[in-house]
Amino acid sequence: MMQQTSGFRIFFMTGAWMVLAFLLLPILVVIPVSLTDTSYIGLPKEELSLQHYVAYFQDDRWLSATWTSIWVGLVVAVCATVLGTTFAIGCWFLSNRASTIARWILITPILVPPVVQSLGFYRFWVTLGLIDTHGGVILAHTLLALPYVSISVFAALANLDPRIPQAARSLGASVWQTVRAVVLPAAKPGMLTGGIFAFIVSFDEIVGVLFITVRNVSTLPKKIWEGIQESIDPTIASVATMLVMLTIVVTIITIWRRRDGDLT
Amino acid sequence: MPDKILTIANATKRYGPVHALDRVSLDVEEGEFLTLLGPSGSGKTTLLSAIAGFAPLTEGRIDLRGRNISNEPPEHRDFGMVFQGYALFPTMTVRDNIAFPLKVRKRPASEVRKRVDECLGLVQMEDFAERMPAQLSGGQQQRIALARALSFEPQVLLLDEPLSALDKKLRADLQWELKSLHDRLGVTFIYVTHDQDEALSMSDRVVILKDGRIQQQGVPDELYKFPRTRFVADFLGKSNFLDLPVTAREGDEMTCRIGGTNFPVTAPGATASGDVLNVALRPERIRLGAPGQELLDGIVRQVSYLGERCLVLVDHAEVGPLMISQPTWKAEVTPKAGLPVSFGWDVDAPVILEDGAA
Repeated sequence: MMQQTSGFRIFFMTGAWMVLAFLLLPILVVIPVSLTDTSYIGLPKEELSLQHYVAYFQDDRWLSATWTSIWVGLVVAVCATVLGTTFAIGCWFLSNRASTIARWILITPILVPPVVQSLGFYRFWVTLGLIDTHGGVILAHTLLALPYVSISVFAALANLDPRIPQAARSLGASVWQTVRAVVLPAAKPGMLTGGIFAFIVSFDEIVGVLFITVRNVSTLPKKIWEGIQESIDPTIASVATMLVMLTIVVTIITIWRRRDGDLT
Repeated sequence: MPDKILTIANATKRYGPVHALDRVSLDVEEGEFLTLLGPSGSGKTTLLSAIAGFAPLTEGRIDLRGRNISNEPPEHRDFGMVFQGYALFPTMTVRDNIAFPLKVRKRPASEVRKRVDECLGLVQMEDFAERMPAQLSGGQQQRIALARALSFEPQVLLLDEPLSALDKKLRADLQWELKSLHDRLGVTFIYVTHDQDEALSMSDRVVILKDGRIQQQGVPDELYKFPRTRFVADFLGKSNFLDLPVTAREGDEMTCRIGGTNFPVTAPGATASGDVLNVALRPERIRLGAPGQELLDGIVRQVSYLGERCLVLVDHAEVGPLMISQPTWKAEVTPKAGLPVSFGWDVDAPVILEDGAA
């Protein structure tokens, strides 16, 4: 087909690419910065250097913050998936007005501004004695991640014909056997997506962590934040670059797997 | 007399102010093919759900061989159920689908395997054991659903419009299969449908429901020949409805009048007390003839050719348009629009309906 190159088209194409550049460049600029040979944040002067990557892997504080973020994220993913799935399946079985209201209440953490939410966490966690504990962070993150899990499980269950669990019951399966045999398999794709979302929510979260932790608990976002506050250490750029790379790799794998899935 | 397997007494189901079921009482006999027939909203599906245990009754009770099961969960009732949308488990193979009820009953693996093979044979699907449900056509899926519901030898098989998603030809084939399956196995079938042909062709007994109430029940032939109400006469097959003024009566023998013509009507046990009989007249019971040959004269308004028979709409000054069904192979006259004809019927053709029934 002939490419039409009207002025109109050129105008909009240029605009679109500029918006895209505006979105991506601030992210990509961390890559050259991370390879700088200087000891402050800036572009490489003489040569490219991996010294700030080495610094990251040799610094216990960075490694422990990373490890904390990972395991907290995994625990949050498991907790939020279990709770969110249970909630979604329960609502699906009821599917009455009360369950609709419950669904709305559960997604409020998405609607409330993070600062307000974090203030709430802070007040409550003081009372509960959870300030500056890993348990406190896990609990807060689980609450923040729950809506994502329940929404994706709801989406997966929307495809489940309500007659299928009925069939299982009529064939002699108890409610619990029915859930295991036919409801959970239908919810599985949603649980997987929801679990990944929950991990990302936790891994990425900083506002809450700043409110409810002091010295004991340090997650990667908090460490990056402190790194900028205290010094202008280019290690931050190397951490950021690794996260960007990780994101790109995961995205590519996801797209590739989905295309494979479509073929079968 | 055969034993009763299910006794439904005063079954009432209310959703707010709406009566989905209104004091329905019904006995189901051991081994019969019972059909619940009605338009949508008649309560037939609600009644089936109540029997299956999915919709607890507001009032009334259901007994299975004398044991009250009204409050038992579906899995304890031991009824197989076949659904309109097949409701096969999409993540399991055909074999696992059929084995499911046996596995939840903890039957030994060897027995499960043998029984699944038997059931596949029952519905002639032996070659499809390892397929996934999504790889089967609608008719095949429904056969598997049937095999699954029968695999654990249920006390009763409940079927909720199982054929309505299939095309006409396949539906007719499966009707024969269902009927022969029923006759071979001797399991009690309770079948819900809105399709009168299905109801008439398969059932030992048909229960017609409307607005949550039983209108009439009986064997198909009896229901078709002697509908008690206008609703039944209209829902089962086609009918012409006439209001006949009675000019004389002597026991069951009455004389009615249309225009200037008097004719006899036999009304055994007719309750009609007034001067007017509400009757239903089946289109195929009306004879068509050359002008003057039959009782009344009329003019053909429209003809619809249906292959083995044709439907003729005849205008008459007094009774309005009448639908007449005539076998095409022995037509006395070849009806055409505008043609003057005569028509008449046997003494026992008009069926007297109950008063006031809509």
